[in-house]
Amino acid sequence: MSEQFEQGVAALRNQIDARISSYLSSCVHCGICAEACLFYTETQDPRYTPIHKIEPLKKLWKTENTFWGKMAKSMGLIEPLTESDFAQWEELIYDSCTLCGRCSMVCPVGNDITYMIRKIREGFSVAGYAPDGMKEATKRALNIGSPMGVTLKTLKAALAHVERDTGLSIPIDKANADYMTLFSSMEIVNFPEYIESIAKIFDTAGVSWTISSKAFEATNSGIQIGNRDAAAELVGRVVNAAETLGVKYVVSPECGHAYTAIRWEGPNLIGRAYDFEVIHILELLDKLKVEGRIKLSGKDDTPMTLHDPCQIVRRGGVVDPPRNLLNSVADHFTEMQDHGVMNWCCGGGGGVSANERAEPLRLKAFDRKKHQLEELGVNTMVTACANCRIILEEGLEHNEMDTEVVSLTELLAEHLQSGNT
Amino acid sequence: MIGEFIDGPLWYFSITAFVIGVVWRIVAIVRAGLKPDLSIARGSAGSGAVRAIFSRFVPERTVTTRSRLQLIAGYMFHVGLLVLLFFAQPHVDFIAERITGFDWPAVPHWVFIVTAEFAFAGLILLWLHRVLNPVTRLLSDLDDHIGSILVFLVMLTGCLALAQSHESLRLLHLFLAEVFLIYFPFSKLMHAFTFVMSRGYTGATMGRKGVNA
Amino acid sequence: MRTPAHHKTVPHALGVFGIYLLGLCLLLFSTLVDAQEKQPKELPTVQMMNPAAEFWRDVRQRSAPVSGKTQVGGVETGVLINATGDRWRQFRMSQLIPISGYILGGMVILLVAFYAIRGRVPIEGGMSEHKLPRYTGYERMIHWFMASIFIFLAVTGLILLFGRPLLIPVLGKEGFSILASASKEGHNLMGPLFLLALVMIIIQFVRRNIYQKGDLSWLIRGGGIIGKKHVPSNFFNMGEKTMFWLLVFVGGLIGVSGLILVFPVLGLGREIMALAHVGHAIGAILMITVIIGHIYIGTVGMEGAIEGMKTGYCDLNWAKEHHDLWASKAEENGEALSNQEVAKMRGDRGSVPPVHSGLQESGK
Repeated sequence: MSEQFEQGVAALRNQIDARISSYLSSCVHCGICAEACLFYTETQDPRYTPIHKIEPLKKLWKTENTFWGKMAKSMGLIEPLTESDFAQWEELIYDSCTLCGRCSMVCPVGNDITYMIRKIREGFSVAGYAPDGMKEATKRALNIGSPMGVTLKTLKAALAHVERDTGLSIPIDKANADYMTLFSSMEIVNFPEYIESIAKIFDTAGVSWTISSKAFEATNSGIQIGNRDAAAELVGRVVNAAETLGVKYVVSPECGHAYTAIRWEGPNLIGRAYDFEVIHILELLDKLKVEGRIKLSGKDDTPMTLHDPCQIVRRGGVVDPPRNLLNSVADHFTEMQDHGVMNWCCGGGGGVSANERAEPLRLKAFDRKKHQLEELGVNTMVTACANCRIILEEGLEHNEMDTEVVSLTELLAEHLQSGNT
Repeated sequence: MIGEFIDGPLWYFSITAFVIGVVWRIVAIVRAGLKPDLSIARGSAGSGAVRAIFSRFVPERTVTTRSRLQLIAGYMFHVGLLVLLFFAQPHVDFIAERITGFDWPAVPHWVFIVTAEFAFAGLILLWLHRVLNPVTRLLSDLDDHIGSILVFLVMLTGCLALAQSHESLRLLHLFLAEVFLIYFPFSKLMHAFTFVMSRGYTGATMGRKGVNA
Repeated sequence: MRTPAHHKTVPHALGVFGIYLLGLCLLLFSTLVDAQEKQPKELPTVQMMNPAAEFWRDVRQRSAPVSGKTQVGGVETGVLINATGDRWRQFRMSQLIPISGYILGGMVILLVAFYAIRGRVPIEGGMSEHKLPRYTGYERMIHWFMASIFIFLAVTGLILLFGRPLLIPVLGKEGFSILASASKEGHNLMGPLFLLALVMIIIQFVRRNIYQKGDLSWLIRGGGIIGKKHVPSNFFNMGEKTMFWLLVFVGGLIGVSGLILVFPVLGLGREIMALAHVGHAIGAILMITVIIGHIYIGTVGMEGAIEGMKTGYCDLNWAKEHHDLWASKAEENGEALSNQEVAKMRGDRGSVPPVHSGLQESGK
């Protein structure tokens, strides 16, 4: 037990780079980040202040990297990082943070608090202090290939279904295709319409694409639980498959953290740049639309709003494509007051949705989205993340609201003008 | 005799400790290292960094309602302190004589006084916010309080010496300023320099991703 | 039932009262000074020895200051000797300072005696398991802002007032001159912040401080301090309301007269300056006396009284005993929180047990 804890502390120590050192030197404990965090605003519990969540990291840095800290430690005035710190903070780090990145946008000294929470999870996961749900999901992802236990067999069954419905054939393991698409398990299990939609769109646009039987899973539990090795292993599978097939692009699906994992963290995890590029499905659709390869017809006059998935928009940088796309099919698209890079999280990202223990807190935090929707008075919410979708639907059901949650890709497929090339 | 010590050796010691300490801290941060980012950038890291360094002077709308008083007090204190530090006549004279060798126009006396009022109000309100608000109460540690109190004492003794008629009052102010300078590099007061680095790092990361942070 | 219109007239009436009070002070001042003026006869009658005395007597213009002609621009530059200045000095030295000293000392002695007799007023029902939210963070912030400014100004002001009789014997003239210079500069610089704090306090608290039905009975029954029985009151009781209005009017008088003193550039003559000083001092002594009582209740005088201002929450039993009308309504509205909830909201360390992590369950 103690040995594993030591390893956790060592892993945590490894995370302290120039960024974290400057962040910890700069934080003046002003607490402004609290107002940006939905777990704080909805509960008013000061423990949910974002910067408070990284207290163990701060303690380690202080006792090992600062003058007073070292002195106080040697004089026995403060005790070093203990296992009970880990036990106490586990809930704060995993249950009350979705890595949504909103706090990082408001910090007056510019600290990327989310980055630090992502990094502190590295130490916690090594020390064994992580929620069971997330541990299990990571184990499944490593052993089976999907956090939800989706196998190739399941995928093939879903694809057969799609082929039957659309009359299209779905290319698997096609070498030298332009695009290799990934899916999140949730899409395969809960939203096969998404697969159907992209099959239709790609067919219409004449996109050369394929699915790899070796690596079709986009989600990365290693990123969520904060385990470098696991994350690198999962990214590596996709990279190997894509490079073996010789594709030009890997398409990240409508899933938030999958995009962050493969697009931004991936190359750093495996320690090299890819031979291919990563593109998010929304970026690709926007590109196809701009190039005139797909035409959209018939605007929907239902009032709609857009829920920005944090990892795609704020942390991913895909800010304009969803808006361009939605505007081209919706006549009455109104933004929520906080939108784009300042949107409010659904409450279930960053692994929180895989953590059963966090459910009551997550549903409480959903009050923020509820408030936003009531303020706007729009009953159709478009989004582009399977996880957001599930979480939003659960929250709406819990609050007995009749808002409809729609996938942007699926919405676009409905408005696809077929045979236009 | 003690006056000569404060005015002479202690001043040189404190300013040296300050400069070396600050440089040492900044070098230590940089030396902690940063791995190169291997992902393909969407935007420019450099312009992202520069943007964040300046854009973070303006608070996001989401925090401007409930933290309003804290923000106003924050501006009052920080802007006030900077003006006092670099544009009050006695300070201009002091810096010109001891450090730079040249002087620059100081603000008129009444601006100096009004600025001091603002800075005091801001600092007192910020410290009260620190001890009264549940969030800051939970976050604050000894260093935060020592820093606040030291700045307050330096400012207070400065204003007590406003008449410039008693050498001992000037020396008291100078002595506290020296303590402040020595304490500075070892403490959270370093944020006066490191905020540029923090904003820069975050801005660069976000800039690469194509997000205006 | 009193109509709300009636409530509005109360502060107005108080304003008038305040002005009367001020007038009374000034009147008192002038009569005392006149009395002083009429009896300088204790000096032995000495035959005129200085041949220039007649001349200086004319220059001095005992009856009323006469303005001569001068090329020096400015207020009262045509007056050679202003005789009223001496009246002001006399008043300050022989009445203002000693009487103020007796008043402040008396207040302290009174409170010590009161404490000896009555002791700390306890919460009779004991601390309950519940609390009521009493003051918001903003309210507590401006209260303590006012408090810190007030205490600083009171201390520096008292140093200036009592320096000669009390501090010079201790510090010596050299030492006191340093302290006096520092106090004067600090007092002048912080002074305007008192007005800022006052405005913030007025805006935030005025509505809860309007006198209403039941306040009079509180007064008649001595606020429950004399007897053993507590008297019901609303959010603020009659005593607190009166202190608020004293702060508004006497504090306002102190602030305005202070500004006149700090800014002689406004073109006001010495007479007005002397009056401003006297008003400032009398008002301040009155206010300090009241605030000593206020601090007494908050610190040693009453159990639970300071909780609301310190933490934002007050004990439910305390609220019921001292502010029953407000407390009952707040409790009915379901505002009461358990002590545990309050501890959580305040982020008291250790208020929340750590969740059981997966560590134990995964068999390590």
